[in-house]
Amino acid sequence: MTVPRIECRAIVKRLPSGSALLTILDTLDLAIEPGEFVAILGPSGSGKSTLLGLLAGLDRPTSGEIRIDGERIDTLDEDALALLRRRKVGFVFQSFQLLGNLTALENVLLPLELAGVASARDRARELLAAVGLGERGHHFPSQLSGGEQQRVALARAFAPRPAILFADEPTGNLDLATGARVLELLVELRSRENTTLVLVTHDREVARLADRRIHLRAGRIERIACGAAASA
Amino acid sequence: MNLRSALASIARESRGSRGRLLFFVACLALGVAAIVGVSALVEAVRAGMRAQARELLGADLSVSAYRPLPEDLALQHQLIDTEFERTEIRELATMASSSKNGRSQLVEVKAVGGRFPFYGALGLEPAKSLAELLTPETCVVAPELLAPGALALGDALSIGSASYVIAGIVRDEPGRLGLAFTAGPRVFLSLDGLARAELEHFGSRIRHRALFRYADETKLHGGDLQSWEWLLARVYLKDAEYLRFETYHDGQPTVRRAVNRVERYLGLVALLSLILGGIGVAMIVRAWIAERTQAVAVLRCLGFRPREVLVLYAGNVVLLAALASALGGLAGSFVPLVIERWLDELLPTGVELSWQPLAIVRGVWLGIGIALVFSLPPLAAIWRVAPARVLRQEAEPLAAPRLVTWGAVVLLAAGIFAAAWVQSDDLEHAAAFTGGLGVLALLLGAAAFGLTKLAARLPRERLSPYLVHGVAALARPGAGVLGAALALGFGVLVVLAMALTERELSTKLERALPADAPTTFFVDVQPDQWTDVERTLGAHGATAIEKVPVVTARLKSIDGVDVEDTRGRGQGGRGRWALTREQRITWLDALPSSNTLVAGALWSDPAANELSIEEGFAEDIGAKLGTRLVFDVQGVPIDFTVTSLRTVEWESFQINFFLVAEPGALEQAPHMVLGAARVDETAEDPLQDELAKVAPNVTFLRVRAILAKVRAVLDRLALAVRVLGLFTVIVGLVILAGVASSTALRRGREVALLKTLGVTRLGVTGLFATEFALLGLVAGLVGASGAFALAFGFLDIVLELGPELPWHWLPLAAAATAALAAASGLAASARALNTRPLESLRAS
Repeated sequence: MTVPRIECRAIVKRLPSGSALLTILDTLDLAIEPGEFVAILGPSGSGKSTLLGLLAGLDRPTSGEIRIDGERIDTLDEDALALLRRRKVGFVFQSFQLLGNLTALENVLLPLELAGVASARDRARELLAAVGLGERGHHFPSQLSGGEQQRVALARAFAPRPAILFADEPTGNLDLATGARVLELLVELRSRENTTLVLVTHDREVARLADRRIHLRAGRIERIACGAAASA
Repeated sequence: MNLRSALASIARESRGSRGRLLFFVACLALGVAAIVGVSALVEAVRAGMRAQARELLGADLSVSAYRPLPEDLALQHQLIDTEFERTEIRELATMASSSKNGRSQLVEVKAVGGRFPFYGALGLEPAKSLAELLTPETCVVAPELLAPGALALGDALSIGSASYVIAGIVRDEPGRLGLAFTAGPRVFLSLDGLARAELEHFGSRIRHRALFRYADETKLHGGDLQSWEWLLARVYLKDAEYLRFETYHDGQPTVRRAVNRVERYLGLVALLSLILGGIGVAMIVRAWIAERTQAVAVLRCLGFRPREVLVLYAGNVVLLAALASALGGLAGSFVPLVIERWLDELLPTGVELSWQPLAIVRGVWLGIGIALVFSLPPLAAIWRVAPARVLRQEAEPLAAPRLVTWGAVVLLAAGIFAAAWVQSDDLEHAAAFTGGLGVLALLLGAAAFGLTKLAARLPRERLSPYLVHGVAALARPGAGVLGAALALGFGVLVVLAMALTERELSTKLERALPADAPTTFFVDVQPDQWTDVERTLGAHGATAIEKVPVVTARLKSIDGVDVEDTRGRGQGGRGRWALTREQRITWLDALPSSNTLVAGALWSDPAANELSIEEGFAEDIGAKLGTRLVFDVQGVPIDFTVTSLRTVEWESFQINFFLVAEPGALEQAPHMVLGAARVDETAEDPLQDELAKVAPNVTFLRVRAILAKVRAVLDRLALAVRVLGLFTVIVGLVILAGVASSTALRRGREVALLKTLGVTRLGVTGLFATEFALLGLVAGLVGASGAFALAFGFLDIVLELGPELPWHWLPLAAAATAALAAASGLAASARALNTRPLESLRAS
């Protein structure tokens, strides 16, 4: 039996809200296989983004265990988590999160340089070309449209060939057509690079493309649906 | 991450912060300019002294003493293999008078037998050599003696019992420097001429000097001049302790010491400007990191460890600091040139200033170092940024490791200490500076913090809308208000404390003389001359006439141990000096009122020759009650036992001595009389003229004139400090402007909103002006109070002067700071003030 790429057992996340503790995630178990595309669905406040943050090692659970490739990450310190992200994890965010003082090309270069990739510049150009922005590398984020910015973010996320990509509402800030194009690119790049994809969305259309759909409600898994393109 | 990509990402990061660049550069560049200015000036003076070292001494080697030089000095010179020249010189301060107008004056006589100087040249009029102008009947004088209507070339000048024709004027004398304190104008005589004055006969204190010039230093014993000097002083000349050796390598020791003191003092004052610049840097970095929190979170997501993010931002700080420091260094290196052009009376004459690249290098390093250590505490905030912020804005900040927060503070303190050490070249000074600064910062910080808290609690209902706004802004947490107040307060404190101290010292010096203190002293009076002197004094209305006998002696042994072997037992340089210099001893039945016994009892041991020693001096030479001291009094050893220690109020201006002997012990020794009297200022000139006739060998010292000279020296130093102090205030204002502009975005929105609500442009300006003025008022009050406390403490406790400070300066200083703060704050908010009301709609 293969080791799951991501595995979590009985994770609980509580956050202080005023004087009380608010339970965001309540005793959740989940395993995601290598190369799998999982969508996490649920209404606002159901704990989708919090779960994503925990799985990606951006945040720590109140209790429970999280493993990536069999390694416990909930016990790692900040430095070790940073190194783990550097080696294995890529991100795409709803609000793009490009660094405003870097050009598109430099944004894509950043994780490559951090990882010490030898031909970083070539790889960055290749990815920008793959998202259709080969000629826009010298532009700053403020000079790009929202869809273009998100495509740069896609290029940045895939550039260091992460084993896992976490996407948080990647089309949430885009209009329908642009969103569709970005999503198309995301799925295409994922297949090409054989990346495990964990995608948070409240859009059922987007989730349709996933291998598995995990529905959250009030911090618990409500149901899990399997099979790509299943009925919404 | 390799170096190249690190540098690349640093270069990228600086793109987004160009607006802040200006303030960052201004803060740091001003401080570095102050540092470089001082050190370039000092270096230039030093370089000038090195370049002209031979001219300053006028010779390769000088040997001098207050007694005839030993025969051995000549004998040893017969044994060396290189040709040499020797010039004999006698130096003394004495009175000179003119028969033309009957006026007299204290002068510094230099009698020269031989070629002088060997190096450099005297600026003489007429343009002949000194030897050509001087005969036994002539003298050459400094231009000060030839005041309009007084003396002219060809007139006669009387010194001692002889008269000399003024044959020339000396306009420039190398080695006689403006920084040094002189008794009076120069008069050159020939050796034969000096003999005619018969001053030696009267027992005047004369410095004997031999100047040497060697054809080939390498042929001296020891192979070079310094080894030769050492051999002469330590091996060849027995009992050479009373001889003073100077080679041109030593430069002019008095000037060198003065330069060192100036460097240490002004160097630390300049460092204050730089440290204030550091506070500015810290505040700018804090605002910058706060704005970049999201970017930091993204970097953390991408796998940057906090320390790598730190390197990124700290690297940025270093790059910017290097740029700012280079600019400041460049500006500061012009300071010596400016001084040379407009303030040349600050400089020793004959020192030429030149470009000082080393001073710039030092300033740039200090600038970068200070910027770095001051940016570390705000940069520690990087550790607090939660990566989860990319998902949720409100993500809980992480707790920064203790090591990081405390480490940053420790590094900051260490950095300031290191900079102070570099600037003062003295561990103790550096520690005191750092500690003092820490305490001041704590006090100022606490006061400013308390006032902002007070502002928050102030009931605002009754205040005018302008004040409400201003008070609210003061109470607003964060926003760098505290830091700006601190920096500005520091500036005010420095400037005001300096000004107060200087003013107080100056006025105290002006009317320094206590009502009963003597105003004139008479040195080197022969005992048989005293009756004449006393009669002359009485004729000129002198009161409180006093006289004490003075015996000059040299310390020979302490408790049976030869002084030669005791060296080092006393403390530091002063101890050595105290052991080997010529001592003056008096004898008294009872102590004057300015003395207080602190140990032992006066004249309590009938069996011994008793001695009473001033407490500090006893410490210097390592003597206690019961210590046995042997003095060499003109060749006769006399044994003393220390039976009492006392303290002396030197500022009483009464005649006082470190060493007082029991009556009877020294009466047989050759001695002179030191006299003192109180004379009206108007009577001083006629008295001096009369004394010059009655007792020409007596040196007449006028306390009022000496105090005026001290004041002049003090004024020069005060001017330099004031200029540097101004730098600190400017830095403080720049920081304030920086704070104002870093909140420009928020202010812009406020303005738009206010205008939407119907407030006019003038009204908004008024609101802002009130806000900045209140901040300035707080800073000014806190800083000025600190300055008064500091100045009062220093003057009252350290100097025991009982200061009368101008307390009305306190509100004035606070008001002035408020006005300056309002002006600079408004200047920095000019853009925000122009925001149109429409933009409040856009912003929402």
